[in-house]
Amino acid sequence: MPESPLDLAARALAAVRSGDGAQATVTTERSVLLRFARSRPTQATAIDDRSVELTVVCDGHAAGATTNRTDEEGLAACARAAERAAEATARTRAYADGSPGPHPGFPAPAPLRGHAGHDAETALLDPGRGGTALEAALAAGAAHGVEAHGVWTAAETETAIASTSGVAVADRLTDAFMKVTAFAPSGRSGYAAAAATDSKALDPHSLAERAAAKACFGGPTAEAPHLEPGAYPVVLEPLAVGELVGWLGLLALNGLAFAEGASALEGRLGARVAAPQVNLSDSPRYPGTLPRAFDLDGVPKAPLPLIQDGVADRLVHDRRSAALAGGGAESTGHALAPGGSPHGPAATNLVLAGGAAADERELCRPIERGVYVTRLWYTNPVRPKETLLTGVTRDGTFLIEDGEVTRPLADLRFTDRVLGVLERAQELSARPVLTSEGEFYGRRFATGVVCPAMRVRSLRFTG
Amino acid sequence: MRDLLTELTQAAAARCDYADARYVRSRSESIATRNGEVDEVERHESEGVGVRVRRGGGWGFAATRELTRTGLEVALLRALEVAEAQPGSPATPLAPEPPAHGRYDSPCERDPFEVSIEDKLAVLLAADDGMRGDARVAVTRAHHLAFAEDSVFASTEGALCEQFIVDCGGGIAATAVAGGETQVRSHPASFRGDVARAGYEHFAELALAEHAPRVAEEALALLTAPACPSGRTTLLLDGGQLALQVHESVGHATELDRVLGSEASYAGTSFLSPGDLDDRRYGSPRMHVTADATVAGGLGTFGWDDEGVAARRVDLVREGVLRGFLSSRESAAGIGLERSGGCMRASGFDRQPVVRMTNVNLEPGEAGSLADLVADTDRGVLMETNRSWSIDSRRLHFQFATEAAWEIEGGERRRLLRNPSYAGVTPEFWAGLDAVCSADEWRLWGVINCGKGEPGQTMRVSHGTAPARFRDVQVGVA
Repeated sequence: MPESPLDLAARALAAVRSGDGAQATVTTERSVLLRFARSRPTQATAIDDRSVELTVVCDGHAAGATTNRTDEEGLAACARAAERAAEATARTRAYADGSPGPHPGFPAPAPLRGHAGHDAETALLDPGRGGTALEAALAAGAAHGVEAHGVWTAAETETAIASTSGVAVADRLTDAFMKVTAFAPSGRSGYAAAAATDSKALDPHSLAERAAAKACFGGPTAEAPHLEPGAYPVVLEPLAVGELVGWLGLLALNGLAFAEGASALEGRLGARVAAPQVNLSDSPRYPGTLPRAFDLDGVPKAPLPLIQDGVADRLVHDRRSAALAGGGAESTGHALAPGGSPHGPAATNLVLAGGAAADERELCRPIERGVYVTRLWYTNPVRPKETLLTGVTRDGTFLIEDGEVTRPLADLRFTDRVLGVLERAQELSARPVLTSEGEFYGRRFATGVVCPAMRVRSLRFTG
Repeated sequence: MRDLLTELTQAAAARCDYADARYVRSRSESIATRNGEVDEVERHESEGVGVRVRRGGGWGFAATRELTRTGLEVALLRALEVAEAQPGSPATPLAPEPPAHGRYDSPCERDPFEVSIEDKLAVLLAADDGMRGDARVAVTRAHHLAFAEDSVFASTEGALCEQFIVDCGGGIAATAVAGGETQVRSHPASFRGDVARAGYEHFAELALAEHAPRVAEEALALLTAPACPSGRTTLLLDGGQLALQVHESVGHATELDRVLGSEASYAGTSFLSPGDLDDRRYGSPRMHVTADATVAGGLGTFGWDDEGVAARRVDLVREGVLRGFLSSRESAAGIGLERSGGCMRASGFDRQPVVRMTNVNLEPGEAGSLADLVADTDRGVLMETNRSWSIDSRRLHFQFATEAAWEIEGGERRRLLRNPSYAGVTPEFWAGLDAVCSADEWRLWGVINCGKGEPGQTMRVSHGTAPARFRDVQVGVA
């Protein structure tokens, strides 16, 4: 019987011999990912890894060390490294009055709520299922005369935390993700993707069909003319909305950014910051999301209203940002790293509530001339405090004329404020869906935004 | 480990068309201060083996941290299993390469992992303190970074080589806030500073504490500086911003896997095609760009890439014409090249290599110093230190913002400008290159967050640049 992550966390914690407190965080990834490009398979990757992070506090100063060696020798070496680092930090930054450093201490145990985010069949990580998915996508692509590109992936991740304050928690999650990018003979591309906790929920044929339909809209050889820069009404598909809302979480709803005066919501909590139909929350067990029971401090996750009826309500905190914010602020369960990430806390389960429109088609109807956006790409903040982003549209940009999507457009650059977009939001589609890229910049920490499509009065296109 | 990998690849030879195995032990250390407090002291270590097999035209890969004969055999079986699970595809050739043998150690005068944490914190806290004092400086940060990697590579073609590399560096940043305005200033580069393939000596040479007062003063000055005007003008870029310009609009665009469409679903494609080689004009005749895995100090400098191809220096652009691609054995063979460009790199034991930049360098010109270049410019804007970047999936249409800019009038640097930005289209922009500063101004800049591949990988690469001048560029776009 293999050692459970929680047992390993307890064993790692026991390896710590000094300091005023410690936390052991164990993360396990088992995953399989199959890539395809130009309608043939290219790379298949299977990963089986487990790492232990030990955080040690000495006189209020924390330091950490991580290893994937889980034998006694490896854990002992990791513990010594964390201890030495914490002691060195305490020695270097000892205060003249003898007061402790800024670490807020480890949280006390708190009751957790479970979730249904683990699917036993997905956890088998059968590469054959991935192979079958690729065959279906390639066949659908061939039927439409398009080149198919994409990935199919599934993973089981486990997180366990044990601390000297008594926290002993473990969480398991499965995630599955597939995307298809179709290229038509014209060079135009279309995209469709789906993510879920159950790999059976992915429909490779349907994804390929949707991607192909976008790539071939207006005919497989139809040209995509350029649109003059300017402000246009837009309909944003959920992927594009999720991208913008995700950035809002990082830039403005981040308790550390707020405490340091870098958030666009500074002085605006309780004020209207978005259209009345915008209701945004962090909801770790919302249907369709990739659920999580606790954050990387072991603090339980609970639903948190962030923007209600367009009014800025709450921010996300880890223990570090809460301590800095003062005024009775407490962790909301959003630590991205033990002790809090230097980048601050982050929402991992954003949910933007749906609206009244049946679908994207209905959202287009009132627009005389505008732009339909499938997804955004390479978005980056230009001026974070303004939530000003720039990025480009990709894999399905179309012109809307007289309420209908009429023809493809070349990709466009936008430069606009996320809060400005939400202020100008006019209507949302009824059914929010999970949008995700399946992982988190190299670390298997699958997150996503559950959101609907959105009609916005104007989006500023700059090139 | 050499014996284990040799045995493993011998066992794999009869079961697939090709196989290689890499043992990698990675270590990293991140130490940071923030507002005079210690913000982060973290050490990471991982080790394991990645086994890559080729069946037909597809690759299978499995990674394990079980470093026993049994553990590696299980990984080989898993790699074969995932390779076989893929739909069948016709075999494609690999460009030939003599089997790699030997050992490479990157130059390192002082092992950063042997320098005490106290010593590093003393440097960082002194620099951090040097930026504080004015209440409008809301956030001060100082960083030290170190990386080390031991690796062994073996293949079914008989390769067996070992490498040990060390990277080190850091930087400082001050964020000033007043009213609705927020401005940041960094040294020597933004986003945690500059890292080189070198030891602690590189971090020490950054002289962070010496630059701290200037960094804070410029962040404060930016709060009230006039906004960068909008329009078309002459643009001068400092070496740091130019490094990212090279990275985004030349480095990624010349990755042959992108050119061939293999990365279309994630990183994107390229505006280039294989037929453009030796024919397409990329920029002005003053544009010379190399991919050089042999230059000292570069984060893309090594003995062999991660499929055992010896480090090379190749022209990408010579006198403004496309002359090469960044390639692997598979992609090179795909367009009929005799050899790989030696650009396959993986971010650790648990990722399979993909085509990556090595050190993609804009070679120095003859324009003298930056002061000479400014003196030679009648009217324009000098932009310094990257703040934001974005480019489309074909690497054509880009937009950058920098931390600071200076108005240039009559050959003199005049007013400081806030919120500078510029945009362009890659070949048009590089066609406007009319001066590159001389070799004395040329240096390598580390980029430590280059993302690519699925599963995602973050790679460290470098770009050698000297300040340069571009004519007729759209500025003030955001």
